This record gives sequence, C-alpha cells and structure tokens, in this order.
Amino acid sequence: MDRNYPQELLKAIEQADRARAAAVIDAWAIGRPFDRVVPELLSPVLETFGKNWAVGLGGVSLATGYVASKVAEDVLARLLLESDTASGAQPSRGPVVLGNVEDDFHPLGRKMVAAFLRADGWIVHDLGVDVSAEQFVDKAVETGARAIGASAMMFTTAKNVAKIRSEIDRRGLNGRLQLAVGGAVFKLRPELVAEFGGDGTAASAVEASPLFESLVQRSRVFDGTAGAASR
Amino acid sequence: MNSLERILAALQNQPADRPAFLLNASLYGARLTGASLEDHYNQAAVYAEGQMAIRETFSPDLLLSPFFIPALGEAFGSRLGTRPRQAPNVAGFAASTAEEMLQLPLPDVDGHPRLLYLRETIRILAKTYAGQVPIFGALVSPADLPPLVIGLEAWLDALLFRPAVAQALLDRLTPFFVALGKAMFSDGATGLALTANLANGFIITEAVADSLLLPNLRTALAELPGPVVFHHGGCPLVDQLARFQDLPNVVAYVIDAHEDLGAARRALGPGPVVMGNLDGAGLVHLRPEEVDHLCERAFAQRGADRQFILATSGADIQFDTPPECLAAITEAVCRTGGVET
Repeated sequence: MDRNYPQELLKAIEQADRARAAAVIDAWAIGRPFDRVVPELLSPVLETFGKNWAVGLGGVSLATGYVASKVAEDVLARLLLESDTASGAQPSRGPVVLGNVEDDFHPLGRKMVAAFLRADGWIVHDLGVDVSAEQFVDKAVETGARAIGASAMMFTTAKNVAKIRSEIDRRGLNGRLQLAVGGAVFKLRPELVAEFGGDGTAASAVEASPLFESLVQRSRVFDGTAGAASR
Repeated sequence: MNSLERILAALQNQPADRPAFLLNASLYGARLTGASLEDHYNQAAVYAEGQMAIRETFSPDLLLSPFFIPALGEAFGSRLGTRPRQAPNVAGFAASTAEEMLQLPLPDVDGHPRLLYLRETIRILAKTYAGQVPIFGALVSPADLPPLVIGLEAWLDALLFRPAVAQALLDRLTPFFVALGKAMFSDGATGLALTANLANGFIITEAVADSLLLPNLRTALAELPGPVVFHHGGCPLVDQLARFQDLPNVVAYVIDAHEDLGAARRALGPGPVVMGNLDGAGLVHLRPEEVDHLCERAFAQRGADRQFILATSGADIQFDTPPECLAAITEAVCRTGGVET
C-alpha cells in the first residue's frame, strides 16, 4: 500500500517527533531527487500545519511550531550538503531582512520565521534581537530586499515598529520597501499592525512565506516591475 | 470588612461587602510615587512605597511583591536591560544551553542582593499591612526559570530533544524554587502568585507536560507551606484547567483577559477562586467608561459566584495608564457591593 507521506510528516511534526519526521523524509526521498522535497512534501505539509496553528487546533503548540522549524532547518541543511550533486537548486524568491525590534529580546518566533522562509527559498538576512530602525532599513537597502520582517512580543516593544515605519518613509522608500510585523502582541491585537505602520502580518510563523510573497508583489507593482518575477 | 477578610470570604465561599479585586500594578507604583525606575526596581523601600501608594489611591485587596520575573534570571547571571517607563527585562542570557545552566551555581536565597530585594519588599509590606491586606510574592515555577537564563529556544530544545538533561535541570532548580518560596512565606507573604507557562499546552506538547513538567510542578508546589494563586502568565488557561486542577496548595486561578470567568468556573467546579479578566496592559488604551463596561462584563460572567476576585490579567499595568482608568475599577466594585468608594 502506498504511504501517505504528507500525512505521516504532519503527524510527526504535530507530535513534536523530529526524528520520525526525518525518517519520513528519508523514506520519501528513496527514488526521488531530494531537491524536490520542499515543493512536493515539506511546503504542503507546513502549509497545512500553519493553518492548523493559526486556528489554534488542538495539539498544536509553540513547541510543535518549534519542531516544524527544526524539521525545515534539517531539510535545508541536507539540501545544502547535497547541492553539489542536486539536479537543480531551488530558485530564490529574493532577499528579505528579519530582526526583533529595538528593545525586544525574544528571538524564538523570529528564528522560526527565518527557518520557514529559508525552507521556502528566501534569502534571509537575520539581524538578531534589539535591532534599530536604521539597521533594518540600512540592511534592506544594502541587500536590495523589498520587505522587512520585524518581530515584537509585547506591546511596549511593538511600539518600536513605528520607528521603522518612520525610517522607511523618511528615506522615501514607502511602497518600495514593505514592512511585515509579527509576534504575540499582533496576534492578540491585530489592529496594532496598521496603527504602528505595518503593511501586513501572518497568523503563524509558517505563513510568513505567503505574506512576504504578497508584500514583495505589492512592492513590484509600486515601482512598475511586477511582471519581472524573480522565481 | 477589611481586605484580608474580603479575600478570606472569597476563599471560603462566604458573602462579602463588595467583590475583592487585584491590580497588577507593580510598575505603576513608581508612577504614583514619582520614583525613578532604577530606585523602584533596586530599593525595596522605594518599591514598597509604590505599593502603599497603590493601596491608598485605589484600595485593591491584594498587594504584590515586584512583578519583576527577569530579576530571577539576573540572580542566575543573566544581564538585564533597562527601558524607559518599563520594568527591566533580560537582555543577555547567563548560559546558552541546559547543560551549561546545570553548571551554574544556584543563587543564595539568603544572600543574593536581587533576591534579598524581592524578599525585603514582602517584609516591609507584610509589616505595614499585617491583618489588613494580603501580600503575595511573585514567583515562577521551576520549569519557567530556564527561559530567563538560557532563553526559551534552548529550553525547548532540551525539553523536546534531550529529556534527561531537562529532567536533571528541573531536579536542580526545584530546591531553589522551594527555598525561595518558603523564604517569601517566612518574610510574611500571605501567598504566592505563580506562573507556570511551560506546563501549558499552548507552549509545550502534552507528552512533555505529562512526563516532565506537571509531575515536577506538583512536587514543587507540595513543598510550599502556604496558598498559591496560579496565574495564566499570558497563555490561554481555561482550556487547560483540567490539567492544572487539584495542584497542591493552589487556591485560585487567574485567567486571561480574553477568557470567560463563567467558563473557568464550569471547568474548575466548586472550590478554587477564579480571578480575572481585565486586560491590565490594555487599560492604557481605554477610557474610564470602557473600563467600567469591562468590569460589568466580568460581574455578569461570574453571576452569583462568591469565589471570584476581579483582577487585571496579563502583564503589568502600563506606566502611562490614566489613573482614572484604575479608579474606574475601584468605583465599579464599590458600586456592585453598594459600599462607598
């Protein structure tokens, strides 16, 4: 009987069983080129997991989200290891800049977002915790990123997202450079996304990639390069 | 009735002159006294003056030792960062893995300056309000200590992938937790206000909670010589109450602002006190009449339940919260009880 690999992988992640997830991926890869694992297995599974997470489905916790990010990292590490022999590398979606806003020292969510974005083909420039507005925008300009992802856990630090908005506007990059925001406070109080000048947010870390895709598309529409897709 | 009698009435399911209430106003004391936050979070007498000002201004029925959990991380060697109009927070961890944390010396409950600061606030407040106002010491469960010392990621990594190391660290931290809790009681605390986020299914898997964290929590709480208020710590709690029910010494549960007090009672059954559900950190955005509406909503949810304490949930009340919003809570409980403000 054919194995249902996506279902098996989803179950392994939901049970926070990283080793079993690796075994399922190994089994899937027998007779298949490993560089297809992201589009054909990992991404669809993470999409389902992200939807379950966003609606708070039973059994999905921060820990299982963490395990999902570790599974994504494991796959990426193996892809990098095998890149010399792979039949074709995954095309890049382009650069993005991530960081925790000024005064925020809660890195877990940001690191999970970075793992999921990398697994989905983004070039992630991760600036770490306590990142100033100037550092965010400097790195975006330096790398040509069309989107910044700013993470904040609490209301008191989330207010510093407004500083990034001001810096983007001050440099005349509004529209060209999009600002995604995330973190517990934005999930609890989604109205803060607009209040602090964010251009969008995602309900879970797994859903960051579609968010960035839409923001980058919006940026391209803004500067008239929407037809020149990067992937 | 005085505040202590009011709280005892709630615990014993007896009538009271008005509903008891709690303000998580640890930071806000500095606003009332005008003290610098550096003094507020380093000098016990200055902090205690802030709580006394809270008591004099708003008449809450419980007072708290500093809701300053990062201080426990500092006691293990983590570095705190100061921020204007906010409590200090962990800005650098003392170690990077659970294995490294196992090698750190345990802070001396009777000698570490940061722990002595926390304890001295309890001593001052307990002496000032003996027989009148219950004083609660703020503490976290043994499993909630590592995120303050190695970060949440490193702790999740151990809990999920190296359970023997996680168990060893819990075994090491539990005596420290018990010693600090006992010390707070000996300092005069009426009870402890405890968060145990890592055992919450919102954070961790059921398997890890059941095998490691809940047994540890049960053991640790059983060692304490007094009552404990179990605080949701920012996580949803009502759906988890079945797992946390009947924990040793736990007499009350503080639920999240987004949760229903009636649902909490139905989940718990008769016995423990239910506390909540005003959004403490969110009061800064509200007008007094909106705060009054939230109080009325809470009273409607609790119905005839006498084992209820109106409380701000979530994080500390923010520094910039208009005092009129806190006064609105006082007015609402007095109006409900038919007593003068």
